[in-house]
Amino acid sequence: MSNDLLITVENVTLRFGGVVSLRDVSLEMRRGEILAVIGPNGAGKTSLFNSVTGVYQPQEGKITFSSQKAPPLSVIGKKTHRIARAGVTRTFQASRLFSALTVFENAKIGAEDHSGIGVVGALVKGPRTRRGEKESDRVASEVLKFVGLFPEAHTIASQLSYGARRRLEIARALATDPEVILLDEPAAGTNPSEKLELTTLIRRVRDERGVSVLLIEHDMRLVMALAERLYVLNFGSVIAEGTPEEIRANQDVVDAYLGTTHDETSA
Amino acid sequence: MGFAHFWLSGFDQIRSGFWAYVAVGLENGALYAMIAVGYTLVYGVLGLINFAHGEVFMCGGFAAVFLTHGILGAGVANGWESVGLVLSGIVFAGLISAVVATGVEQVAYRPLRRRHAPKLAYLISAIGASYFLQTIAGKEFGYGQNIFPAEVFPAGQTLFYIGKTPIHTIEVICLVVGIIMFLAADRIVRHTRLGRGIRAVAQDSETSSLMGVNIDRTITLTFIIGGSLAGAAGFLYALQNGIIQNSGTELGIYAFTAAVLGGIGNLRGAALGGMMIGLFGSFSVPFAFEGNISWTEIYTFLILVLVLIIRPTGILGEKSGRTA
Amino acid sequence: MNLLTRKSLKRLFGTLAFFALAAVMTGGPGGFGVPAYTGVHASYLEPVSYFGLFRTQRWSIFLTLGILAWLIISLYQPHALTIRRRLEPVTALPNRVMQRRTNRWVLIGVVIVIALFLPKFVHEQFWMYLIVEQIGVWILLALGLNVVVGFAGLLDLGFAAFYAIGAYATAWFTGVLPTPAPFHHPIPTLWCIPIAVGLAMIFGILLGIPTLRLRGDYLAIVTLGFALIIDDFVGTQSGLTGGGEGSLTTPTFSMNVGFWHYHWGINPTPYYYLCFIFVVVFLIVFTSLEYSRVGRAWVAIREDEVAAQSIGINPLKYKVSAFAVGAASGGFGGVLTAGLIGNINPTLFQYQVSVNVLILVIFGGMGSIWGVAIGAIIVQFVTSYLDNYQPWGYQLNDLYMYIGALLIIMMIFRPAGILPSRRRQREISGYETEHEGHLDEVLAGDEP
Repeated sequence: MSNDLLITVENVTLRFGGVVSLRDVSLEMRRGEILAVIGPNGAGKTSLFNSVTGVYQPQEGKITFSSQKAPPLSVIGKKTHRIARAGVTRTFQASRLFSALTVFENAKIGAEDHSGIGVVGALVKGPRTRRGEKESDRVASEVLKFVGLFPEAHTIASQLSYGARRRLEIARALATDPEVILLDEPAAGTNPSEKLELTTLIRRVRDERGVSVLLIEHDMRLVMALAERLYVLNFGSVIAEGTPEEIRANQDVVDAYLGTTHDETSA
Repeated sequence: MGFAHFWLSGFDQIRSGFWAYVAVGLENGALYAMIAVGYTLVYGVLGLINFAHGEVFMCGGFAAVFLTHGILGAGVANGWESVGLVLSGIVFAGLISAVVATGVEQVAYRPLRRRHAPKLAYLISAIGASYFLQTIAGKEFGYGQNIFPAEVFPAGQTLFYIGKTPIHTIEVICLVVGIIMFLAADRIVRHTRLGRGIRAVAQDSETSSLMGVNIDRTITLTFIIGGSLAGAAGFLYALQNGIIQNSGTELGIYAFTAAVLGGIGNLRGAALGGMMIGLFGSFSVPFAFEGNISWTEIYTFLILVLVLIIRPTGILGEKSGRTA
Repeated sequence: MNLLTRKSLKRLFGTLAFFALAAVMTGGPGGFGVPAYTGVHASYLEPVSYFGLFRTQRWSIFLTLGILAWLIISLYQPHALTIRRRLEPVTALPNRVMQRRTNRWVLIGVVIVIALFLPKFVHEQFWMYLIVEQIGVWILLALGLNVVVGFAGLLDLGFAAFYAIGAYATAWFTGVLPTPAPFHHPIPTLWCIPIAVGLAMIFGILLGIPTLRLRGDYLAIVTLGFALIIDDFVGTQSGLTGGGEGSLTTPTFSMNVGFWHYHWGINPTPYYYLCFIFVVVFLIVFTSLEYSRVGRAWVAIREDEVAAQSIGINPLKYKVSAFAVGAASGGFGGVLTAGLIGNINPTLFQYQVSVNVLILVIFGGMGSIWGVAIGAIIVQFVTSYLDNYQPWGYQLNDLYMYIGALLIIMMIFRPAGILPSRRRQREISGYETEHEGHLDEVLAGDEP
């Protein structure tokens, strides 16, 4: 089961005009693992995320998402919302909550079925709509309880603390019932105690909900504590792959970080 | 009249009057290019479309119209007198339009920039400015009244012939002035310190302000350059077509189409797009149903929609016009 | 307080410029067949009495007002913060009161009761017509555009097109256009409602699918272009639409259900109640939409399209649905206008009409259904008053000058409108604090 592939990225190249953002990147993610992608700033980590979620369209290569419920999905060329519905969801580097909505509404909007248009349903409120509402309410409360934000359900999202926002973003992503969740620097801007909370939360996402986690993070301590496997990107290419211990010992990685005077390598 | 016959006769007209269509196309193209420069420069530094730019153009047209009447009165100028009048008209129109453009920036944009307003607010405020200017021009100079400048050279004067096609003074003036002003703007943006400021802000305003570029002044300068070109275009347009309070809306959309076609944010793209739209508009005249000129408007507009949908980055542009 | 600092002199210049503009705005017009300087002359040199003291010219009054304004601002500025803080309880009052559910319902009840008995108080037919035509219909239009601009955040400058489609469809189906009615069988005006609304929605969807992929500012210009084209097209196709003359008189509304017959006739009061019912229906429909799954999805795409996509929302689909819902309401307004006015012609649907509707939405508060309804009443009442009484040098065509100015002023001082939607207000303040210290602040320049 653990060798069951979830996301495969094969020889992906992504260019913007003349700038190559990803160069021949290959990566495999297994079902049920916590995988991290690390690398110095500008190494192409977020570009990789954007390619996997359909925000960017790489010019070359292949990305496949193998769902348990559906036939494998070739990601490139698909719209973000289709990929999200297939089971790949994400959070963002700077948290991007819907600031006009309450905490509860933020979670609920993730849980809702967006496949129909629903204008008529919203007006007539037939039994199906009502059942849908009830189900979304249930899912929203459940994920909020999971991340520990249920007591603040009626706060406005923009009034939350930084750490709480990150948790709400994870809750919103979980509400879509994903198979894999992509976390883009979840600990950025949080304080040490919030970091600790997030570490536990991310592990619980995998352990308790069976959702695989793909992680970009600068904080090495968090990465080494969480990830079972790592990929290292530098200048848009994969330069190393392995367990945290292997990566720590890898001279190329150390060089890449030292070359950009990254201070977190010592951590 | 059959449909095929209609199209064939259109092509016949083009074949027989080819150079005349080219001349008119280049004349209009030069005007569109001059206006498009303003759209593209402002888009570069502020990242938004200056909806009031068409009205900046219109104000320049009115200003020069009254200047020429004030100097010349009812007579017809000739020779050096004409040259002087055209030059002073261009300078005055450019000046007034630059003033109006900076006024719009100060009143409609700057307070919003200070408050870090969302983009929708800029658009709405710009639309407000556009309506305000349009209506006040209508109030002062008559709604729907087309005003012509004094005859700074004899109307319909022919300068030379290509084959049997007469090339009119106005066509030559528009093209020459357009080229000179465009080259001047291009030089300013590419080679002077102020121009470097504009390019720096367009690329990365945060860094450029850290590097000591005065952003407010740079933005004002952008509006001045764009405004003066639009004003000059307004005068030249008025020489041929007269000016009316809502000229700016129509010409504004044409020039915007040109800017998008060339690649918004790209100065040379604006010139290229302007010429293309000018020629396209001119060549589409024989294909207007029942001779109704509105059809050329509709054709040009279809180009805009097609460009925006198929290639929002335009011909020379890089930035994406679509939502991420 | 030093009045001669650079900043203070700059302010003096600003206020004087403002009052110079005000002199032109309120001054006499120039125009057809008069010398070009007529307008300017009337604005500045027209003889008036100096506040009833001695005879002088207009410029002196505006100069005085400008200097007075400058002095008042200079006195106010140093204490601005304190004064604003003291006034805070007063300015926040409407919001605080409205935040309580019971207060909201009481207000709604009062409004409904007043609205129900309004025809009893208004005795002049003229004002009754005005209330229906200029206020009732326009509330519907504003509510429709509010879905597009306020809920989904799409700036549509061609909204008048849907209004026109509704009206022309009605004229077509009732057989008052030069083109014969479909199947040569005119139908009663009331039956046109579903047809016209359906057509408007279809058109909204057809227009939306290609254009709604565009960024906000491109969308605005494309919709403006479409409005201009429709303006052109309707005006020139005299064989099809009656051109500038427009249609013959559309029959008034009438209802025949079994043995019950009712004709609206020429008295405005029945139309008032018809309009009232529809406004209430639309208020309820749009409110329940706002707090439904669809409403939340609209907020999501308006705030952050990428984030919305990443949780499975298809932005295009929801934008198109907003367009269609807005179009429906616009088309509806069109039917009512057709039944009410009779003669349908292009001047009713000029592209300026779209901006006119936009100001109702912005004044009331984007996304705030009650704000928009109340804003529409206020703005339409004031503009109708101005158009009919023409006080203070106001001329018929000046309306868009004031609308333009009002748009700018609202954006600068109260972007969320007079009765802000709670969601919108949070969003704007959230946006502005989030972007503080970011790119935009740097763009805001080096002056404090």
